[in-house]
Amino acid sequence: MLKRSSLISVVLLSLLLAGCAGTQSRNTDPENDPWEGFNRKVYAFNDGLDKVVRPIAVGYDKIMPDPFQRGVGNFFRNLDTPVVFLSQVLQGKFEQSGTTIGRFLLNSTIGLFGFFDVATKAGIPYYNEDLGQTLAKWGYENSRYLVLPIFGPSTFRDGTGRLADSYIHPVGRAVHGNNEWGLWIIRGIDLRARYLNQDAELKQAYDPYVLMRDVWLQNRQYEIYDGDPPITDYDLYLDDYPEEEKPTPDQ
Amino acid sequence: MKTLVRFLFLALACSTGNLFADHIKGDDPVSRVEDVTVHLFANVTENLQHYTENPEALQTMVRTNLMPLLDIDYAARLILGSAGRGIEKEKIDEFADSMSTLLINRYSSSLLYFSSEVKLRVLPQRGELNEKMTRVRTRVQLPKGGEAPVDYVFHKTADGWKAFDVIVEGISYVTTYRNQIMPDVEAHGIDSVIERLKSGQLELAE
Repeated sequence: MLKRSSLISVVLLSLLLAGCAGTQSRNTDPENDPWEGFNRKVYAFNDGLDKVVRPIAVGYDKIMPDPFQRGVGNFFRNLDTPVVFLSQVLQGKFEQSGTTIGRFLLNSTIGLFGFFDVATKAGIPYYNEDLGQTLAKWGYENSRYLVLPIFGPSTFRDGTGRLADSYIHPVGRAVHGNNEWGLWIIRGIDLRARYLNQDAELKQAYDPYVLMRDVWLQNRQYEIYDGDPPITDYDLYLDDYPEEEKPTPDQ
Repeated sequence: MKTLVRFLFLALACSTGNLFADHIKGDDPVSRVEDVTVHLFANVTENLQHYTENPEALQTMVRTNLMPLLDIDYAARLILGSAGRGIEKEKIDEFADSMSTLLINRYSSSLLYFSSEVKLRVLPQRGELNEKMTRVRTRVQLPKGGEAPVDYVFHKTADGWKAFDVIVEGISYVTTYRNQIMPDVEAHGIDSVIERLKSGQLELAE
């Protein structure tokens, strides 16, 4: 019990701190991000938190040889199986859910508890599914952007999905049930280490907050549509021009 | 963003292996991607030593090969959006030019780096060709395992099919840069943005 309440207090504390930071008020995307003012504050809070997390991730990245780091990534991805499987079943992707079970059996045994992704080498594909994507498939297509404390970019829908995921995922269950944070922390550091290469770009961007939102929302759309999202309507970009200036593709 | 541009480069750069040198040349988008990447890659492999010593020669070669494939002006228009309104054509050309130069220089350096490691598959055309917007789908095999999906968006111009956007794992180059550059131009003017592009500060290509 102590564990759960400590998790809640971390979240509450972060929200509280977020409330004190920044004064951004402009709105760059009213349609997808009506809570931009709030989101920017949480973003700033996360950015502050990262001053502590990043050096740890950098150290981890330095110490861990690449093959080990890949193994850790494989291990956690293997633990995603219950979430992926349930999401596939709920989306009616029964054939794929069978594949997911096959992957899990192979990687958990021959792959030594998931450290080696032998299934992918054997041509068994990995499907990225979660409950947030399931909600989207069920018709909850548009959801407002929401930056979560600690976890970062999300939407209201995907934040809800994430919370539900955490009661199914072994790492989340360890936290909720036994107040066991070890795996959660290692996974967090490993995840952070995977984005170290992007830090410089993000810092240099004209508006890092918008860059992260753009990248995340587009990639999420890509995941929801299983790699085949509707293509951008580029004409809308040109519509900003007065008619006579509008460059038309010759032909 | 780095990843984005790197993939673009990789995708364009590294496509030998599964492509046939005597591929029948066609003007359709899929053949365009295949032809250009095969040609570039072979050239770099042949002259690796020369290009390592003379990065400028490599940049010139890449520019010569790549530019006919790209509709940089159209991409620049899309990225500038309403911020380009009222800006004289010369300025917009200068913007497009500095953007493409930055891209090509970055692409060139990653060519040297990745030329022998990464493979690219061009997937067959799906559905009818749409003259306004046709997507060529490719898969870039990454050195550390896994594949990254990289799509090129083509449209048909008077000079044939040309690409104006690159989409990596669903992330559109044009959309993402548009949302960075438009407000920058609106706030500080196009000259300041061109200046930043020329100094290589804007990480347009990664």
